[in-house]
Amino acid sequence: MTLLTVIRAGLRSNFGLAVLKYRLFKEKKDRWLVPIIGVAAVSVVPMLYGVVLAIQNIYGVLKPMGQERALLSLGFLAAQFLILLFGMYYVVAAFYFSRDLELLIPLPLRPGEVMASKFAVIAINEYLTIAAVVLPIVLTFGVLAKGGAGYWVNAALVYAALPVIPLAVVSLLVVAMMRFINVSRKKDALILVGSILLLVLAFGLQIVMGRSAGSGGPDTSAAAIAAFFTSPNSLLNRVGAFFPPAIWATRAVAGGFTGEGLANLALLWGVSILLFAAMVVLAEKLFYRGLVGLGETTGKKRRLTRDEMSRRVSSGRRAKAAVFWREWKIMNRTPIFLLNGTLVAVLLPAIFVIMAVTNPGSGGTGEGDATALLKAMASANPVVVILAAALFMTVCGSINGTASSTFSREGGQFWISQVIPVAPREQAAAKFLHSYLVAVLGVVTAGIVGAVMLHIGAGHLAVAAGLALVAGVLFTAVGMAIDLARPLLDWANPQKAIKQNLNVLLAMLADIGVLTVVYFGVKALIKAKLGTNAVLGIVFAALVVLSAASYAALLKLADKRYPAIE
Amino acid sequence: MIELSHVSKSYNRGKVKAVDDLTLTVKPGEIFGFLGPNGAGKTTTIKLVVGLLRPDSGRIAVEGHDVAEEPLKAKQVTTYVPDFPAIYERLTGLEYLNFIGDVYGVPKADRLERINKWLEIFELAPVVTNPIQSYSHGMKQKIVLTAALLPGPRVMVLDEPLVGLDPRAAHQLKEMFREHCDAGKTLFFSTHIMEVAEKLCDRIGIIHKGRLVACGTMEELKAIDRTEAGQSLEEIFLELTDK
Repeated sequence: MTLLTVIRAGLRSNFGLAVLKYRLFKEKKDRWLVPIIGVAAVSVVPMLYGVVLAIQNIYGVLKPMGQERALLSLGFLAAQFLILLFGMYYVVAAFYFSRDLELLIPLPLRPGEVMASKFAVIAINEYLTIAAVVLPIVLTFGVLAKGGAGYWVNAALVYAALPVIPLAVVSLLVVAMMRFINVSRKKDALILVGSILLLVLAFGLQIVMGRSAGSGGPDTSAAAIAAFFTSPNSLLNRVGAFFPPAIWATRAVAGGFTGEGLANLALLWGVSILLFAAMVVLAEKLFYRGLVGLGETTGKKRRLTRDEMSRRVSSGRRAKAAVFWREWKIMNRTPIFLLNGTLVAVLLPAIFVIMAVTNPGSGGTGEGDATALLKAMASANPVVVILAAALFMTVCGSINGTASSTFSREGGQFWISQVIPVAPREQAAAKFLHSYLVAVLGVVTAGIVGAVMLHIGAGHLAVAAGLALVAGVLFTAVGMAIDLARPLLDWANPQKAIKQNLNVLLAMLADIGVLTVVYFGVKALIKAKLGTNAVLGIVFAALVVLSAASYAALLKLADKRYPAIE
Repeated sequence: MIELSHVSKSYNRGKVKAVDDLTLTVKPGEIFGFLGPNGAGKTTTIKLVVGLLRPDSGRIAVEGHDVAEEPLKAKQVTTYVPDFPAIYERLTGLEYLNFIGDVYGVPKADRLERINKWLEIFELAPVVTNPIQSYSHGMKQKIVLTAALLPGPRVMVLDEPLVGLDPRAAHQLKEMFREHCDAGKTLFFSTHIMEVAEKLCDRIGIIHKGRLVACGTMEELKAIDRTEAGQSLEEIFLELTDK
């Protein structure tokens, strides 16, 4: 009973259900979000349709060979790997760095109960994450294979068990590690290095997958699909052998109520329960010991000399500069903010390119090699090349959550911004400068990647950069305005301010909306047989006007919103 | 000087009245103590004065500047210490003080002198270059107080400023209150510590269920309460808020 209560409280606080209910039904503040989320959900449908078609296609190839189950294995394996990779991050954050531990530990709860409640919250998060990977495959497979009651019941039971094994494995490792390695003083470095390692691992895997899939040549022919799924040396089979729960899950679902299905289901659930129990037992012994002192950070005591003090006391910056440097320091010293903001701007262009050049056959164009595609594009219409490069740079500059979390990141300290004698519009301008600089960093990195790896000419690149820099103003202002309209200030874990902040998603949707309008505008201009310079000139002028207007609107909104946020 | 004139503030779409038609003047050179039970409206009133909340009706002025009409002028002369020291944990103490000095436009010489003075008094000098996240609750409270003293404000508004301070720091702070007001400046603070209010304040206001139920010097409060002479502030408080 106690365990259920703690789990329920954990879920409520993690998903903000009570707050959401209050804002939707009592304050009636967030009702405008409902149609927007509806539109977002509908806009995913075409993509989902594409995925289902691809699954159908692969199923069609594998079925005559009797290898269609490999499709299910792929889904389960991918899901469990996702959990294994990103679960590490969530587990460390939830078990050791979440602030509610200070409330939970003094309660009359056993360490195992505290850990189990944290585990449940992560597991439920994972159900949502892996839904996008597993559900299309399981549902399409079930329909095509005309799965009976056994298929669907087992599929539900397997889905429920999927995150348990990888999460329990990760938890066991993390609990043991935290107990025996003294990380308390270096928790920021731990989060940063761990996250970067995970990214490298994830993209390393992506490269290996790409190479393995592409061993038969860069095509998506039936033969290549069959080779990927069925060759005894294929990555799928090798990894499947290394991580058998995916195979058990496949057999349990495909087998239905047969002896094979039930035995594998029992195996999957049995191992899940065993590992979960092992985790709880280990937690009883090690969890709190690893926690001791973790919440404390110590600093050396050193008194500054009179001269040092005189040098370090600022002789007076302008208020706007002071706000800018505050933003800069807090962003770059908070690992979660740094990872999801500044580092995304730098890493994203490289990641895009790695994915494109190492994943032949992606995109289903049949062209395969992305580099070749870009090279072919370069000799085509220069408007297309420049706009494609500008789009790449804009996306790399604006997709990070810096602008769209700029007010939310202040959290419980927002009162300082409200009481200092600096006009809200000046504060917003300083914040804009910070967010825009991060966007510029992304544009520049994307430009370098474009020049070095994709061989885009300097002239084209310069024009594209000009467009991206202007678009960056627009997207930064829009992102900030969205966050200013509904800042998320009541967070205890900085992840909520940037990673789990709906404003970041809303800003991305707004950006996609703007880009869609630009796309159709350009299409119309090209259709109207306008010359290259004319098309680019019109796009540039339109972006300048929109950027100036959005920046002015942002400053006006700041004056209105700062005193109104209570 | 702080002037509140018929100020009301409610929450939850008017269902909960936190401050109800409050009229109050805190004069220059005055230490004003604001008392009241939990949930009486003390923090709401303080937040209204410093511009963190907007009143539903009524007018608030600080040093003659209307908080709603001339917010920057009002903020320029006011500093605020909240009941919980939520400040930038990723900055060092000195960076935070520099930030406050910059936004209030404090000249370097004043800045250096005040920072040195208060860091010594609060014994923060050896840790001022460490990140605030490494500070204890009391140390955070002290750095917030130092930041509030740094601009040399005409008006200081403090919400439970003595909570979390060790006896030495609390003593120094009370002396500073007196110095501040002897220089003709204004100090408005809330507290639950009756002895502090009784000994330190020139005037005391008692708020209960959003309404100011008593306001005046200790002598005046005793007269309002119509109880026998020699009663303590605690007894007056209990009497007035037991309704």
